[in-house]
Amino acid sequence: MAHLTFKKGVHPPSNKSFTEHRSIERIPVPETLLVPLSQHLGVPANPVVQKGDHVAVGDLLGEAPRLISARIHSPAAGVVKRIVDQPLPGGNLAQYVEITVDREATERHTFPGNDVDPASVSREQLLEIIRAAGVVGMGGATFPTDVKFSPTKDKSLDVLVVNGAECEPYLTCDHRVMVEETEALMRGCRALHNAYRFEAIYIAIEANKPDAIKAFEDLIAVYSDLPIKVVSLSTKYPQGAEKMLVRTVTGRVIPTGKLPLDVGAVVCNVQTLFAIYEAYFFRKPVIERVLTVSGAGIDRPKNIRALVGTPLELLVEHCGGITGPVNKVVAGGPMTGTSLPTLDYSVSKGSSGFLFLTNADVETENPCIRCSRCVSVCPMNLMPLKLAAYSRAGRYSELKRLAVNSCFECGSCSFVCPAKINIVAYVRHAKKYIRLHNARENKR
Amino acid sequence: MSAKAGGFVLTSSPHIFSKTSNAKIMVTVMAALLPAVVMSVAYYGIRVVFLYVLSVTVAMATEAVTKIFRRQDWRSILDGSAALTGVLLVMTLPPAISPLLVALASGFAIFIGKEVFGGLGANIFNPALVGRAFLSAAYPVAMTRFSAPRPLFAFLGRSADTVSQATPLAAARFEGVTTPWMDLFLGQVGGSIGETSAVALIIGGVVLMWLKIVNWRLVGSYLGTVFLLAGIAHLMGPNQYPTALFHLFSGGLMLAAFFMITDMVTSPVTNLGVIILGIGAGLIVVLIRLFGAFPEGVMYSILLMNAATPIINRYTDTRPFGAVRQEGRRV
Ligand code: SF4
Ligand code: SF4
Repeated sequence: MAHLTFKKGVHPPSNKSFTEHRSIERIPVPETLLVPLSQHLGVPANPVVQKGDHVAVGDLLGEAPRLISARIHSPAAGVVKRIVDQPLPGGNLAQYVEITVDREATERHTFPGNDVDPASVSREQLLEIIRAAGVVGMGGATFPTDVKFSPTKDKSLDVLVVNGAECEPYLTCDHRVMVEETEALMRGCRALHNAYRFEAIYIAIEANKPDAIKAFEDLIAVYSDLPIKVVSLSTKYPQGAEKMLVRTVTGRVIPTGKLPLDVGAVVCNVQTLFAIYEAYFFRKPVIERVLTVSGAGIDRPKNIRALVGTPLELLVEHCGGITGPVNKVVAGGPMTGTSLPTLDYSVSKGSSGFLFLTNADVETENPCIRCSRCVSVCPMNLMPLKLAAYSRAGRYSELKRLAVNSCFECGSCSFVCPAKINIVAYVRHAKKYIRLHNARENKR
Repeated sequence: MSAKAGGFVLTSSPHIFSKTSNAKIMVTVMAALLPAVVMSVAYYGIRVVFLYVLSVTVAMATEAVTKIFRRQDWRSILDGSAALTGVLLVMTLPPAISPLLVALASGFAIFIGKEVFGGLGANIFNPALVGRAFLSAAYPVAMTRFSAPRPLFAFLGRSADTVSQATPLAAARFEGVTTPWMDLFLGQVGGSIGETSAVALIIGGVVLMWLKIVNWRLVGSYLGTVFLLAGIAHLMGPNQYPTALFHLFSGGLMLAAFFMITDMVTSPVTNLGVIILGIGAGLIVVLIRLFGAFPEGVMYSILLMNAATPIINRYTDTRPFGAVRQEGRRV
């Protein structure tokens, strides 16, 4: 099969061999969970529990106050020890619900399947199920999934793209879910299809995961009621970025500042789809996810199914501990992830992985030699060298002209820059400035 | 458990980088120049080696001294760009040039051509060509005395003394004598130190294009324009104007096309930009060679187009993915 792809992009070393053939392991239920109330894009959830409250598995911990927000549920049975403020990866402060876990009750708890007939569930009901379960984009963007699946009145939604690209190096959690939960994902597609009647459902997978591609292809005949196509993509970063993926698979170009919905498409990460499946058939909220713990600095790299709120230290312990001269810990993939100053963090819905990098390069910046590599790799067709230079010079009107807000911080430009200029850092600075500046203007 | 809890490095993403660096690029370009450098030594003797070493030393020393005076890190000289300028400069000079002038030009190239603008990345003009332009203006006589190369390929039945004093371009322009293009291709002709052997330059240039250090569109549009325009001129006046192939392989065009006009710092950053640059420079070469006061126009073609590069860069920004035109403007 010819592999499809997008224009530009980069080929970082994949480093997936650490974990790509390791089956998902379940980590023992921790004694304590630290569940952040802000695990999604948008407004944090409001706590609905207090210190001392008893909670069961799946009980609501936080309610979504607005549309762009998400519910948070208790991943375990136990007692709320306290609600504390702690930083999220990246530094923003969030409320965390600390739960002293009743391990036995937690392990005993199951979500019984309910025999829903997909044909009987309306679109509104489906969206309500998704919303009630607190499903957000689990590829890392953590955008509330029900909003993503709600086209405005005048728009139609005719294509579903299941995002199994997993183009970030090191990460293999989506890969494992595709191989081990193929059937569940297909049933998830069916649930969605019955509500939306898509013209096409594309399961888009990078060619470096042939076993996942095959797993889906083997099932296509069984799900012949669905208009499913398995699409093999070239292994290239950032193939899994929404705009690149929709362009690659459907040929549709999402205009600046618009969403896939605006071109009639919706992109759903495989673990998000799995969460939809669990919510739909088991009424199970998002209380766990599969993530990859990897890097040269961890003793036994693994794919782990962990409860939301599992402390990072426990994951490290479960993987044999830190070995080697680890100088950088990254939440997420190495291209877009966030570096962590300590291990005092916990698993959230968007945690795709934790990486323990040894001898990570900390580069000093050299002068830009205008080699144009950044220009030739930017998937958004921007002028990264100018974004960095104008950000440094504080020339924000130029930055707007150059569509700085179109940059989705994929990191391709910084990756290839021979002068080791961290263009992404400059772009972030500029975007933040422009955002705050606009907010102030609007107030006036 | 953890060998170390905390104390990790915090940086913005990404957290992995390609293995390239400014210095690696410069060293690669120098390596690609090696065939031509070797040929130049073969043709003009060991003296040339001395000139290369001298030029590189002066270039690096000038940069170091300037940096120290400006209280900047003098170790920038290790990035290889000053050395590269030193090598390229020598390649553009006549074989009989005096060492004193080489040293002078090298210092001038780095100081005026690069450091005055703020060092690597900030200069507008190709520093090596700035050095050469300085000598052309200040010492025009020394800059037009060309000695013949040693007859390396005498066994091929060609002797070099047909063009012992004038370069093929000068001979063609002022005496109406054209040199067979095969001689030009191999370099068995008079000319500047490093520009005579087209084949050696092409080998290095192709490697750089393959490594994507040199944009083939720039080389192609520059050479293509010269070839096309010279060809048209030749067709219109076969006795008056030499052939397109003659133009392609004579003078400094090959050196310029692969190693001078392609200097990253002084050429545009988009594909459209480099094509405009190449066509513009090609046009200037042909105009000067055919109608100008000098036999050779390569140096000016590049320096003039270097001056235009900031403007080209300004108007050839790529169009952002998904950009929609609104009221005729980009969003
Ligand atoms: S990759 Fe780096 S050095 Fe090259 S043009 Fe872009 S910013 Fe400049
Ligand atoms: S400018 Fe933004 S979108 Fe373009 S390569 Fe850099 S990080 Fe990616």
